[in-house]
Amino acid sequence: MTSSSKTAENTVGRRTFLKGAAVTGAASTLSGAATASPSKRSLDTQAQGTTKAAPPTVDQMELEASTPQQLAEANAEQVAVGLGPQQSTVFGSDFMIDVMKSLDLEYVFSNPGSSFLGLHESITVYGDNQKPEFITCMHEESAAAMCNGYYKAALKPAAMMCHGTVGLQHAAMNIYNAWCDRVPMIAILGNHADAHARLGATTWRHSAQDPASMVRDFTKWDDQPHSLQAFANSFVRGWKIATTPPMEPIAIVADAELQLMEVEDRSALQIPRFTPSEPPQGERGAVQEAARMLVDAEEPLIIADRAARTPNGMKLLVELAELLNAPVVDIASRQNIPTAHYLDHTRRSGQLIGRADVILGLEVTDFWGQVNFVNRETMTSYPRTKDGAKLITIDVNDLYLKSNYQDFQRYAPVDLSISGDAEATLPALIDEVRNAVSRDRRRAIAAREDGMRKIHRDLYEDSRQLAAQGWNSSPVSTGRMCMELYDKIKNEDWALVSVGASERFVSSWPHRLWNIDEHYRYLGIGAGGGVGYGLPAAVGAALANKKLGRFSVNIQCDGDFMYANGALWTAAHHRVPLLTVMHNNRAYAQETMLVQGTANRRKRGVDKAPIGTVIQDPNINYAKLAEGMGVWSVGPIEDPNDLGPALAEAVKVVKSGYPALVDVVTQMR
Amino acid sequence: MKKKILTTIAAFACSFISLAAAQDGDAERGKNTYNRVGCYQCHGTDGQGNDAGPMLTPDPLPPEAVANFIRFSPGRMPVYPEEVLSDSEIEDIVAYLASVPPPPDADDIDILRGLEPGD
Repeated sequence: MTSSSKTAENTVGRRTFLKGAAVTGAASTLSGAATASPSKRSLDTQAQGTTKAAPPTVDQMELEASTPQQLAEANAEQVAVGLGPQQSTVFGSDFMIDVMKSLDLEYVFSNPGSSFLGLHESITVYGDNQKPEFITCMHEESAAAMCNGYYKAALKPAAMMCHGTVGLQHAAMNIYNAWCDRVPMIAILGNHADAHARLGATTWRHSAQDPASMVRDFTKWDDQPHSLQAFANSFVRGWKIATTPPMEPIAIVADAELQLMEVEDRSALQIPRFTPSEPPQGERGAVQEAARMLVDAEEPLIIADRAARTPNGMKLLVELAELLNAPVVDIASRQNIPTAHYLDHTRRSGQLIGRADVILGLEVTDFWGQVNFVNRETMTSYPRTKDGAKLITIDVNDLYLKSNYQDFQRYAPVDLSISGDAEATLPALIDEVRNAVSRDRRRAIAAREDGMRKIHRDLYEDSRQLAAQGWNSSPVSTGRMCMELYDKIKNEDWALVSVGASERFVSSWPHRLWNIDEHYRYLGIGAGGGVGYGLPAAVGAALANKKLGRFSVNIQCDGDFMYANGALWTAAHHRVPLLTVMHNNRAYAQETMLVQGTANRRKRGVDKAPIGTVIQDPNINYAKLAEGMGVWSVGPIEDPNDLGPALAEAVKVVKSGYPALVDVVTQMR
Repeated sequence: MKKKILTTIAAFACSFISLAAAQDGDAERGKNTYNRVGCYQCHGTDGQGNDAGPMLTPDPLPPEAVANFIRFSPGRMPVYPEEVLSDSEIEDIVAYLASVPPPPDADDIDILRGLEPGD
């Protein structure tokens, strides 16, 4: 045992005081939010100005204390929270922060809670609220989504912190979204493992024997360390597990007593070195075989979903596609190929799948769903592929699975299944394709290029003409909304950080007509389909982009917005520049369509389909809602001619470092 | 699959019939019906179409072709049986769609004019 453990009675007094100190930390964060990296000096100054939450000074405590013993304790407490000149005591949570700092963890997204008071205080005071910085969230679900969005923009994990009980219950859905999206994140779960140390009824309710069990079905690993050294080992191990493909969330329980205990000998505690794992690659012989099949194919097709984990993955995919002159269907859970590239043929995926003689699926979660068609009316399915088509998959789908939640999708029979990370396997595949191309095949492959270029141009032109359809309609067409928006941001270093649960909700206009030429320009969707992802994920991504100098844009569905609109306040509070454009169709539009389809099939009429699926009577004024949270806003905009000027103003606001919201009343899709 | 082919052939065949039938319909009533039965959800309030459903304007198919398609829709389009949408209501809808002014050409819109991949 390297750290001191005290009796419950002794700890209570200190903890009670620490609770006050933690509140001070939070208050300091509040008033210091305008500064991206507030100095400790500024935090202390602000704390003194916050009468309600500031801890008592030594003088005050001396006045209130009546015995020498109490006076001594008062001095000791000041030293303990690091406010006095003789700061020397290190607490368990301070060491935990050292562990986080060793991993360059930038942010902890959290809503305050008593089971992680020690950590909260250590982040803000001991750690000076820098790496990690405490980001105030208004819901644990938002905190989890912010981790998700942050990772996809920064390509490094963030952490969220919550009660292992009620907080985790809130967070669970967006942890599941991250799980389905292959996003690494660290969930830090506060808990009171020692029943004897629990203070009262609420503490008992906020304690669990096995907190992580609630999310064990959709986290890759979890642990409940019982010592500080074990915490360090587990945190670094968890970080490594989370960031090794298939990347997934992990959970670490931070015991409240461990957080609050004093460390007797800090030098005895070791933080293990983090060594990232090289991602698993496909077996070389199988890769050779895949290359041969692709080179020999007359109409090869590449379907990519999360193939490009990084910008380099995008370059590799382009290289492979060009070597084969093979069209690419980009499902785009990550951006895999630039939309302006002549081999991006996503818009004709159905036709391509029906014609291809070899199809290569790269990190496609639902490959079966790509190569088969399901008739909703009859619930029957049939292949979309032609007879004899050969199917190849390269993915990590089989490398880590859990049984309960069914996000692993329907089993896909294929001709060659290669287990390995697609991005890590692409260099070998590219090499093997080069080796396999004979002079004849090179000529045949080259002959495809002109046709591919023409089709790509035609697809773009079709979309351009289609965008004009309904240009002057009110409600505003999604085509006009997206193109007015693109017109205002295209000269910025923009990033479309969220489109909610599906880009199809805005008829995929960004992928049709925007020049998505970088990996970070499009971050995919809320992969689990859980509503309440869009806005907080956008805020998390925009926070990452703020440091990277990118202009963040969020196309925000109204139904999704109402699940987690407190994330707007987080954006305002932490000065996160983010342009949110409301796709306000005043409905859960997909459900309206589905209920209507069901009613039609039953021949009962469709008049009642809007019951429970529309968001009307009253209409929600999102601009006012945003204004109430300190966010610049305008709307609702119903006349499409008002949209351009409003967006131009909003862009100025965002470029000055603040969030802005433009509420656009839109067509359903 | 056979049914799908027949339906498609029928739809195309009917598209050559004159729009006279549509002129029998009432455009104002058709607009109300179009919105009431939810056509706008997938096809837009002006029949402009989107990712969920193709454009229906300008030059809508004649009512017979529309009826033929939506009574036996083989794909994502929900089936509209006669109990839900009568032939005369379809005539009204087609009359409404025929009354929608044609959209501007992309080159007549500043933002879309001359856009090319990579812009």
